[in-house]
Amino acid sequence: MNTSEVVVAIARKEVTDRLRNRWVWTVSALLFLCTVVIALFGAAPVGVVGGKGAGAVMASLMNLVAYLVPLIALILGCGAIIDEKQRGTLDLILVYPLSPRAYFAGTFLGFALALALAVVVGLVLSGLFLVLWVGVPAIEYLILTLLALALGAAFLALSFLVSLLSRERGRAIASSVFLWIFAVFVFDLILVGILVASGGKLPATLFGALLLANPSDCFRLLCFQWLPSAAAPLGLAAVAPAGLPAWLLLAILTLWVAVPAAASYALFQYRVDRDALV
Amino acid sequence: MIRLEAVTKRYGEQVALHAIDLEVHRGEWLGLFGHNGSGKSTLLRLLLGLTRPTTGSLLIDGEVGSAAGWRRLRAHVGFMPERIDFYDHLTGREILAYFGRLRGVGAERVAEVLGQVGLAAAADRRLAGYSKGMRQRLNLGQALLGDPEIVIADEPVEGLDPQGVHAFFDLLHAGRVETVVMSSHRLAECCHRVDRICVLNEGEVRALGSAEELSRDLRPPVHVHVYPTAAANGSLQIALTELGASAVVRHQGAWVAEVAQAQKLAFLAGLSRCEAQIRQLHVEEPNLEELYFEHE
Repeated sequence: MNTSEVVVAIARKEVTDRLRNRWVWTVSALLFLCTVVIALFGAAPVGVVGGKGAGAVMASLMNLVAYLVPLIALILGCGAIIDEKQRGTLDLILVYPLSPRAYFAGTFLGFALALALAVVVGLVLSGLFLVLWVGVPAIEYLILTLLALALGAAFLALSFLVSLLSRERGRAIASSVFLWIFAVFVFDLILVGILVASGGKLPATLFGALLLANPSDCFRLLCFQWLPSAAAPLGLAAVAPAGLPAWLLLAILTLWVAVPAAASYALFQYRVDRDALV
Repeated sequence: MIRLEAVTKRYGEQVALHAIDLEVHRGEWLGLFGHNGSGKSTLLRLLLGLTRPTTGSLLIDGEVGSAAGWRRLRAHVGFMPERIDFYDHLTGREILAYFGRLRGVGAERVAEVLGQVGLAAAADRRLAGYSKGMRQRLNLGQALLGDPEIVIADEPVEGLDPQGVHAFFDLLHAGRVETVVMSSHRLAECCHRVDRICVLNEGEVRALGSAEELSRDLRPPVHVHVYPTAAANGSLQIALTELGASAVVRHQGAWVAEVAQAQKLAFLAGLSRCEAQIRQLHVEEPNLEELYFEHE
């Protein structure tokens, strides 16, 4: 059996597991529900209720995705390797004539596909409603969905790293929640604090670089570049320095997937070699 | 096939195995016996390449164990782990199909193995409804999926009744399995089903050889239970001592005489002198389990 077949077999099982235990449908329903509530009441701060105000709805949706998708990805992935180790199946699989790399790739791919399926089903179902009823531009909604997938993949990669560093599911969950709070709330507060403390004299290049150090902010910055209807800026991205090209933001967000995933794999291989996974 | 030379394995300060010299020969059935924590599972992990020696060498077919060497060996190995919690939400067939795909094994072989391990009727039930014995049979089925030449099994008979133990060995014999390395703490039940016994205690090999060799080498004493008649008097105890018993104690209505193997027949012959005082006689041969586990 070649490596790609092994990767597909493992990925398929991971997706099937999450379909069978209703994880995918629960997350989809949650996203659908939140999106519809935002469509109905998201524009309330600007005095509009009941599915009007596409721009405000898009801005609220962007924030919903920025908060919810990382949390979903982190909670999904934080038990990925540990669960298999604790149930004894990891040792068994490692004795099979397949490489740890194939196992890791299959697991990551499976988790990523399950996450993508949940996000796409949830956002597409609500998207039909938003495009047809609220008047949200279809192309912008599609871009938001694609960016949500990229954001989810970045936090999924981070969750694998957290999982391998934690060595125990309980700690992994706690660390994931901490990481989520830091990434979506604390990080921006710290940046605002630095900006204020510097009296606005923080070099734009440094400020831009600091923003890129958080995948959530990369996502927000890309949204502001590619989603014109979300014109009313919300959050720290409103003060983002101009001149950060979309390709750079996209490249950095891609690195936020690739680097933690590669680091997770390296750590996994290191621990497998030393029989020190848990 | 796999040779351990002066292998020591430490986990931090804890020594799991100390200076182990052991060779697993192709075609033999080797049983690793010992208490919990004696080092059996660590030794199996070493044999599977799941862990590496802290010091010492591990050779596969005469070559130092490399990643490629392990991969070649593992293509022929079926592993039955002790603690495994298969996926409760999947059926027995789905679980074997998944592990089968990882080995390149198709649905036909999965169905065949399910039949071999007696799970054909329960194949499409979710694992959550399986008994402990059924789970153990599924575990064995998983190990047999690739029609392996070598089976490495960690406590495979744990939780099985005597019938289950019998069925387990029958299943291993039925396939094309040539080499078996299994661990257990049920020495008495398994010692005659393997070619060689390796007794581990506190990470060291205490004994290595066939059941017959170990029994002969250790020459353990037999216990002769002599049940006196109602008319018997104290002279019976004295007679037992005079016949060569190294110790005589009263236990549950009988005099229990400990007799060296070399004197067993002479002792039994001498008992005819006391026939009038003896109601019943029972000779208790020692078993290896007693030798290694009860008298430590």
